[in-house]
Amino acid sequence: MNEPLLRVEHATIRFGGLKALSDFNLEIRRGDLKGLIGPNGAGKTTAFNILTGVYRPTSGNIFVLGQWVNGAKPHQINRLGLARTFQNIRLFRALTAIDNVRVACLTEAAPLVSAERLDAIRRKGGVLGRFATLLDSANDYYDWWRALVLTPGFQREEERLTRRAEELLEVMGLSHRRNEEARNLPYGEQRRLEIARALGTRPKVLLLDEPAAGMNAREKSELMVLIRQLRDQFSLGILVIEHDVRLIMGICEEITVLDYGETIACGPPEKVRSDRRVIEAYLGDSYLDSQPDAAQGGRK
Amino acid sequence: MRSGEPPATRGPRLPYRVRGIFPLLLAIPVIGLAQWLVGDMPFIVYISSIVGVNVILAVSLNIVNGMTGQFSIGHAGFMAVGAYTAGKFSLESKDLVISHLPTTMSDQVLLVVALLIGGSAAAICGFIVGLPSLRLRGDYLAIVTLGFGEIIRVILQNTEAFGRSLGLAGIPQWSSMFMVWLWAFITVLAARRIAGSSHGRSLWAIREDEVAAEAMGVNTTAYKVRAFVISAFFAGIAGGLFAHFVPIINPGSFTFVKSIEVVVMVVAGGLGSTTGAIIASVLLTLLPEGLRSAFTAISGNAEIAQRVDQIRMPIYGLLLVILMLVRPQGLFGTRELWDVLPRWFPRHRRGPA
Repeated sequence: MNEPLLRVEHATIRFGGLKALSDFNLEIRRGDLKGLIGPNGAGKTTAFNILTGVYRPTSGNIFVLGQWVNGAKPHQINRLGLARTFQNIRLFRALTAIDNVRVACLTEAAPLVSAERLDAIRRKGGVLGRFATLLDSANDYYDWWRALVLTPGFQREEERLTRRAEELLEVMGLSHRRNEEARNLPYGEQRRLEIARALGTRPKVLLLDEPAAGMNAREKSELMVLIRQLRDQFSLGILVIEHDVRLIMGICEEITVLDYGETIACGPPEKVRSDRRVIEAYLGDSYLDSQPDAAQGGRK
Repeated sequence: MRSGEPPATRGPRLPYRVRGIFPLLLAIPVIGLAQWLVGDMPFIVYISSIVGVNVILAVSLNIVNGMTGQFSIGHAGFMAVGAYTAGKFSLESKDLVISHLPTTMSDQVLLVVALLIGGSAAAICGFIVGLPSLRLRGDYLAIVTLGFGEIIRVILQNTEAFGRSLGLAGIPQWSSMFMVWLWAFITVLAARRIAGSSHGRSLWAIREDEVAAEAMGVNTTAYKVRAFVISAFFAGIAGGLFAHFVPIINPGSFTFVKSIEVVVMVVAGGLGSTTGAIIASVLLTLLPEGLRSAFTAISGNAEIAQRVDQIRMPIYGLLLVILMLVRPQGLFGTRELWDVLPRWFPRHRRGPA
C-alpha cells in the first residue's frame, strides 16, 4: 500500500572499467520534491538514464509503482508514469508547439480487445498466451484503421487530445506559441515546452534535467514557483537535477549529492549544505562566505 | 512542418459520420468523368496509368522515407511482390466468372481481390524485412531494403512458376485508368490521414528525435514497422495495378533502378510532403514522354527521340544533383502545396490570425 512511486535500490552501472554510478538509492513518493546535485560528470544524467530505461543498471533494482522495471524499454517505463525532460533540449524541432505536446498525449480510446480481456487470456497461458500478443498487435492495427477511415470515435478522440494539449500549453504559459515551430521558440520557452510535453504523458513522477539551464534570474525564480505549482496541481513526485544551488536549495525538501558516481550526502538542504564533503566536492570553499545569502533562499 | 492541421478549420465542418467517406464520394465521379472523357485514347490511358502507379509508389514511400525519416531503397521489391502475386492470382482465375454478375463487373471484383492479395503479400514481406532491421538505426535499413529488392528480383528470375526472366505473360488486362486513379486517390488519402493523426505525429516525432520520442511513450520500433508495412502494402497495390495494364511483367521492370526512381521522386518532392511526392512523380514520369514528343516535333525524326529515352537516367542523376545543390530540402520541404502556395503568391496571404 505504502509503495513509493519510484524506488531505486543500490543501482550501479559500469561502462567498461568506469563505475559511472554506484549504489544509488532513491525513493520518490507523491508530493515529494527532491534534488540531485553534483559536479560535472558526477553521474546525475546517468542516474536519469537508468531510471528512464535508456541504460540498464549493471546491478540493483528499480521499481516504478511497485513494478520491477530493470531492462524495460523507455516507452514502457514512460507509460507506467515516469516522464522526463532533457539536459540538452530535445524537442521535436520541426513540429509546432501543440504537436510536440500532442505526440506525448497518448490515446485513451477503447481498444478492440480490452486490457482486462487480454490479461485474462494471458493468464490462461499456453498457446492462448501467445495468441494474446497477436491480439494486442491487432489492437494497434485497429487503431491505425480507425485513423484511416476517420471513424467518429477517432475524431472525437483527436479533439480530446488537442484540448488536453492546449490546456497543458496554457498551464506552461505557451498558448500564444501554439502554432509555432518548436525550433523558433526562445530558449526559456523551449524548456517550458519540454515540461509541457512531459506532462502530456500523464506522469506520476517527473524528472527534470537542469530545467533552469540558460535561464536568467527572473525566469529562474518564476520556474521555482512553477515547479511547486506543478507538483500540487498534478500531484506529482518531482526529481530535479540542477546546477543552480540557490534554486535547488530553495525548492527541494531532500537533496542527494553525487560525486564520481558515489552518493556523498543525502538529506534536507540544511544538512547537505553544512556537510564537509559536499562543500569540498561541489560547493567550494567560497561557498562558505556566501552562505547567509543562500540560507535565505532555503527558508523561502 | 504542418503535420496535418485538419482543413476543416477553413470552412464549415462536416458531420463526423460523413467526413470519413466524403473525399471518396467526391473523387469517384471526378475520376469516372476523366475515364469517360479520355477512356478511348489508349496512349493517354496508358501514360496516365503509369503516372498513377508512380504516384502510388512515391506517396507510399514517402510515409517511410519522409514522415518517419527512415531510408528505404527497395520499394521496387515490394512492387514486384505485389505484381507477381496479383498477376499469378489473375492468371489462375481469369476464366472465373462470379455468378449473377456481368463479366466486366465480375472481372473488376476479381481485380480488386487480386490487388488486395498482392498488397497483403507485399505487406507481409514488409513486416518480415522491417521487424529485424527497423530495430537498428541509421543506414542499416537502406542496406537491408536494397538487399531485399535484389533478392526478390533474383528469386523471380530463377523460379519456374514465375516464368524466370521471361516473366508472366497473358495476365488479363482488367485494369483501367479509373481503377489506377481510384487507388492513387486512396493512397494519398491514407497518407494524408496518417500525417494528420496521432499516429502520424508519432512518426514525425521519430523522424525528429528518436530518443525523445521513445521517452515520451512512443514505441518507436513498432511505429516504424507499421509505417513500413503500410508503405509496402500500397507498393504491392501499385505492382498489382501495373501487372494488369502492361502486357507482360518480368524481373527487368523491378530493378534497383526502379527503386531509385521512386526515391528520386520522393526526395525531389521534399521528404515528408505528400503533395510534393505527387507533383514530383507526375513531372518525372511525364518528363521523358514530353521530351520525346518535343524532340520528335522539333526534328521530325523519331530516332533522336529514342536517344533521349536512353539518356533518361543520366538526366535523372543530373536533376538530383542540381536539386540537392540548389534546394536540398526538395521542392516543398516538409510542407504541403497549400502551405507553400500563399508564399509564392503573397497577394493571397491571409493576415495574421
